[in-house]
Amino acid sequence: MIQFHLDPQSGVATYLQIVRQVQDALRLGTLDVGDQLPTVREVVADLAVNPNTVAKAYRELEHEGLVTARQGRGTFIASTLAPASLQHHAELRREFERWLASAQRAGLDEDSIRALLATTLRESLARRVA
Amino acid sequence: MAWVTWRQHGSQAFAALGLLIALGVAAVLTHLPIASAFGHDSLSACVPPAPRTGCDIIVPHFESQFSGLVTATRILAVLPLLAGLFVGAPLIARELEFGTYRFAWTQGVSRRRWLLSKTTLLAAGTILAAGVASVVVMWWRSPFDQLEGRIAPGGFEIEGLVVPAYALFALALGVLAGLVLRRTVTAMTVTLVVFGAVRLLVSDFVRPHFMAPLHRVIAATATSAAPRDWVLSNTLVNAGGRRVSAANEELAVLHAQQAGIDPHTYIVTLGWSRIVSYQPAGRFWTFQLFEAGLFVALAVVLVLVAVWLIRRTPA
Amino acid sequence: MSAPPLVAEGLAKHFRRNDWALRNLTLTIPKGAIVGLAGPNAAGKSTLLSLAAGLLAPSQGSITVFGRDPLQSPEVLAEVGYVAQGAPLYRSFRVADTIEYARRTNSRWDAEIATELLTRIDSRAKVAALSAGERARVALALALGKRPRLVLLDEPFASLDPLAGRELLQLLMDGVAELGATVIVASHVVADIQRICDHIVLLSGGRVRLEGDVEELLESHRLLTGPRRPLGSIRGVREVVRERYSGRQLTLLAITEGPIVDPSWTVDPVSLEELLLAYMAPERLPAPRTTEGVPLRWHG
Repeated sequence: MIQFHLDPQSGVATYLQIVRQVQDALRLGTLDVGDQLPTVREVVADLAVNPNTVAKAYRELEHEGLVTARQGRGTFIASTLAPASLQHHAELRREFERWLASAQRAGLDEDSIRALLATTLRESLARRVA
Repeated sequence: MAWVTWRQHGSQAFAALGLLIALGVAAVLTHLPIASAFGHDSLSACVPPAPRTGCDIIVPHFESQFSGLVTATRILAVLPLLAGLFVGAPLIARELEFGTYRFAWTQGVSRRRWLLSKTTLLAAGTILAAGVASVVVMWWRSPFDQLEGRIAPGGFEIEGLVVPAYALFALALGVLAGLVLRRTVTAMTVTLVVFGAVRLLVSDFVRPHFMAPLHRVIAATATSAAPRDWVLSNTLVNAGGRRVSAANEELAVLHAQQAGIDPHTYIVTLGWSRIVSYQPAGRFWTFQLFEAGLFVALAVVLVLVAVWLIRRTPA
Repeated sequence: MSAPPLVAEGLAKHFRRNDWALRNLTLTIPKGAIVGLAGPNAAGKSTLLSLAAGLLAPSQGSITVFGRDPLQSPEVLAEVGYVAQGAPLYRSFRVADTIEYARRTNSRWDAEIATELLTRIDSRAKVAALSAGERARVALALALGKRPRLVLLDEPFASLDPLAGRELLQLLMDGVAELGATVIVASHVVADIQRICDHIVLLSGGRVRLEGDVEELLESHRLLTGPRRPLGSIRGVREVVRERYSGRQLTLLAITEGPIVDPSWTVDPVSLEELLLAYMAPERLPAPRTTEGVPLRWHG
């Protein structure tokens, strides 16, 4: 069973860290369809985090279609990350390169681009979940 | 709360038991010579109101034989105070001093119920222990009570109903002192002082007036005013009934000595006598009821004050 | 029972004349929240918890727990698990006696919860012989064993080594997960509680300086760094909470209301600890920030 860890200094919200660790495990193949995730209580007792946080992470994973919660039995992996996303990667990468060129023409240096990227990414993620 | 009270005060109960056992053993041991002297001289026949001849010699002899012991037993008047010092004073003060009130008063029992339950159970134990002590003392003092009476303070305060009543009063006093002063040692000191003061006040100023004292005129030279009664005052008066001052009494004695007459006979020829104000021995149980009632009422008032105040502690 | 776990209205408390521990405090704790009560020493945290536990009476205003006055309603004591600072216990009692005491004085008692918290502690050991961590666990067992709906902990991690502190936190969160209780943990060390809190109340000098949902607070505050210059209004910044400068650099803690697009500012998120420190500082006091859309009022 997957064991979560928490990095309190990373600036990333706890529930997001849990979500990402599940996603990473799926990508690496350490979690597969049908595997059971630890119960909320187990995570809470292991990490000493707020139970609401764990519940939120599991809800988010369910929302993304990655897990299903079976009443009274636990939370199980429902699907892996679609490899079909590889197709989208190429398209998205081209779009990104075009944007980068525009940004450089506007005078943004590497650090400004990084700052803009990090801020926008964080804010848009938060908006999506709220 | 019964379990809680037992768990927190059980050791005090055992200490009290130990004390009572020690008291009992001491009583039995010291009583042996008394009983033997009493029986040997058939002193039971000397019990007033109709003593036989010869009693006026053997009774004083008996009394002086054991007077030291009898006087020593007056220390037992301290016993009821122990309930206040070691059970009452630490009850709340200790919780406040050690901060454990923050545990005890945040469980499902209200403070008032906590205090009332504990106090009631401890009061019951106190009455029992004090009652046993009182019975032991009454048994031990029986020969002296018969000869000298027990309504005078020496016997009155260590026998009968007043002993449990004093103990209840001390307990309640200790509890309230602990609540108000919040420190065990300070509460013990205040309990000691107030207990002593109230006891003294009652025995000197209140008890003599529970019922109107009786008066009796006796011969100026009589040595024993009223053997079993409680003599409140013994005043030398002249033939006209006016009090004779100490100075005049001395003058008369001097005059008699100069004239070569026995001073006692001289005083009698002057027509002087003594007026004795006293409480008769028969009023013993009545007075016991009054005094016990007074102290129990005081105890109840103190506990009620504590119950009212405890909600406001700490401020 | 729909009343919130804790509501304070204009609550004030003074001990001796002019020694006001709490001033005009108005607060509502939402059900199921895990609240960090933060602030420096003598901020009024212990006083607030004592008032909630029915140990003190308010000098002004009111405090209610589940809609009832804890001082007048002893039945609400059964719903509140309180561990005072230093976890006071009867030192001459054995652990088993202490549990028995709690069992007999509380109408609801769950022996299982208590036992889980007491693993590896000898129930015949005297309380005085326990380590600080073990005593804290016993105190927590007593508080959680009565199945409370509100748990109040006053500096539970003080005098605990990091391992014991982490263990206590794990046990606390596990217990809270089972009970679904609302929790208020007072601590002057933010790091101890920021792992677990979804709601924060910052007290300083007896007043609420900051209060609200942690995520929302972290989302609405940003650290702006840039060259030192006179400040006008900055697009995207609602209010500047604190400003600091060193040399040619200026750092602002700001409440934002949109993205900051001015490229001369580097925008970074702020950690909870930084946020609390900024609001704790006595100079340049901001109006307390609440998340209920109530217009901000100056509480200075």
